[in-house]
Amino acid sequence: MSAAAETFRFAAPYELPRWPFRAPPDLGAGERIRYSVVICGGGLAGLVLACDLGRRGIQAVLLDDDDTVGVKGASSRGICYAQKSLELFDRLGIWERIRAKGVTWSVGRTMSGADEVYRFDLADTSRSEQPPFVNLQQFYLEWFLVERILGDGVADIRWKSRVLAVENREDHAVVEVETPEGRYALEAEWLVDATGANSPIRNAMGLDIHASKSVDRWCISDVRFAHPPAMERRTWVDAPFNEGRAVWQHLMADDVWRLDYQMSPDADPESISRPDVVGARLRAQLGPGVDFEFVWIGPYQYRDHLLDSFRAGRTLFVGDSAHVVCPFGARGGNNGIQDSANLGWKLALVLEGKAGPALVDSYDHERRAAAVENLKVTARTARFLAPRTAEEHRVRRAVVDLARTHAFARKHIDTGRMAVANAYPPSPWSEAGARSVQNVAFDGTTVARALGEGGTRFLGLVVARDAAPALAALAPLEARWPVAFRAVDPRSPLALHLAVPEGALVLVRPDAYVAATLPDARDAAAAARALRAALALDAEAA
Amino acid sequence: MRTDAHHPDPDGFYEAWLDALAGLDAERAADLNARLVLLLANQVESPQVLLDCIAEAARTGTR
Repeated sequence: MSAAAETFRFAAPYELPRWPFRAPPDLGAGERIRYSVVICGGGLAGLVLACDLGRRGIQAVLLDDDDTVGVKGASSRGICYAQKSLELFDRLGIWERIRAKGVTWSVGRTMSGADEVYRFDLADTSRSEQPPFVNLQQFYLEWFLVERILGDGVADIRWKSRVLAVENREDHAVVEVETPEGRYALEAEWLVDATGANSPIRNAMGLDIHASKSVDRWCISDVRFAHPPAMERRTWVDAPFNEGRAVWQHLMADDVWRLDYQMSPDADPESISRPDVVGARLRAQLGPGVDFEFVWIGPYQYRDHLLDSFRAGRTLFVGDSAHVVCPFGARGGNNGIQDSANLGWKLALVLEGKAGPALVDSYDHERRAAAVENLKVTARTARFLAPRTAEEHRVRRAVVDLARTHAFARKHIDTGRMAVANAYPPSPWSEAGARSVQNVAFDGTTVARALGEGGTRFLGLVVARDAAPALAALAPLEARWPVAFRAVDPRSPLALHLAVPEGALVLVRPDAYVAATLPDARDAAAAARALRAALALDAEAA
Repeated sequence: MRTDAHHPDPDGFYEAWLDALAGLDAERAADLNARLVLLLANQVESPQVLLDCIAEAARTGTR
């Protein structure tokens, strides 16, 4: 059968906001000005850190070489934001905008041919005020963050400011910056490299990132439907409409869907991303009569890398500059966000003189461990989705075949293990390691809101029916260290989530991770020891 | 990992296994064996026992 070739159209491009370059005081100043924190790069990780520090009263300078958000306009980037990120956005004050604009989801279905072979509902295990996931185009999130930062009026965002060179000195770094009105240099007590996967700062330092590139090839098609399909995440291990290869179907704001097609490893990137070729592929999936227009098309191969250390002298690496993993399970952008959430309070307390300088090293300890874990998890997904040999295909075939009828085999289906708040390994700062606390409501507030009040401080939760004796014993600590103690009813949802015995004290860090759990909340000396360790003040106390 | 002989009917198991493979070409026989491994693995509680069995299977063999 022959038919006239269908023509496909593109949606009008998004109009993204632009912000003006303003000449900073450094231009024309006789001497270099020193700032406490300078962040290079206004992507997710950089903007989150600038916003978080600002809300902690620390004024950061953020240098961005562009004057807008997003990369290549409305192109592909992150789309899927995990609960731990959303809880942070609640504390930063942009959650309502994200909820209103984004798409909330919790159900994921994995298909083989026409059969469902795996299903999850992440809402089942959540007690948080925020849902497990919201999908939203990355540029919207960056847009909301910029407007929040400008509204707060603390951080100094410098648009059209390109970093030319960085030099690590003993107690600061020197940064050379190029602007439309000339060059200048500034000094940073702490320099944060958030310039992304191809970081020129990291590259100029000659740091090994242990990069590897996959042969697996994909093509993203972002598509707007007149009448969108069901609101659920779907993945196909082997889609009949894609020559038996994998397909991702994910929704975003504005009725735009991301359809991501696994291609043959030897496919030509240019031809597989031609609108007529992509359109024919979509038509095979959707059938005739479904009206759509393209928003963006892009072929890609994924890669990964990991820095040996996320700190080099006075320079700290966050987000893609430090680590890149295969794009499965939303473990890219969310971990850049969590890098900054981990770093922000530590820098703030060290700069305020309330924590020991060694606390900054806990950033590398904890976030590099998270990156190692994410690299392992995503590499396993990549291997499931792109078996390397006939025998690997055979094992996957056995799993998929059994999964049609056997629940146990479904657990082996791995089309992406969704991003979680990584637990942190034991450390000098947290003897038992640190695990995340969800943003659970309690006592007229929530964990995130309570952490957002009163400056950067820990939250000591006394889980007891009668918390008065413990609160009285602990009260003197509030004057010495950045901590506030609150009672939690042992029958409340928060106590059930914390899962500690009655009478315990749970010491929650400013990033909503448990620094320590102490069995007897009335033991103020034990609480003081745990706080000193968590604040890296042990050397001083000894 | 147990390596002592404790199967009550070793010959019966061997025969049933061969019967399941009978008449299959090498590809389909290998597919069945892969499904069999998954089903048997699900009978084992301990992850360490599974890893020990994988290592032992990789270590042994005469060709």
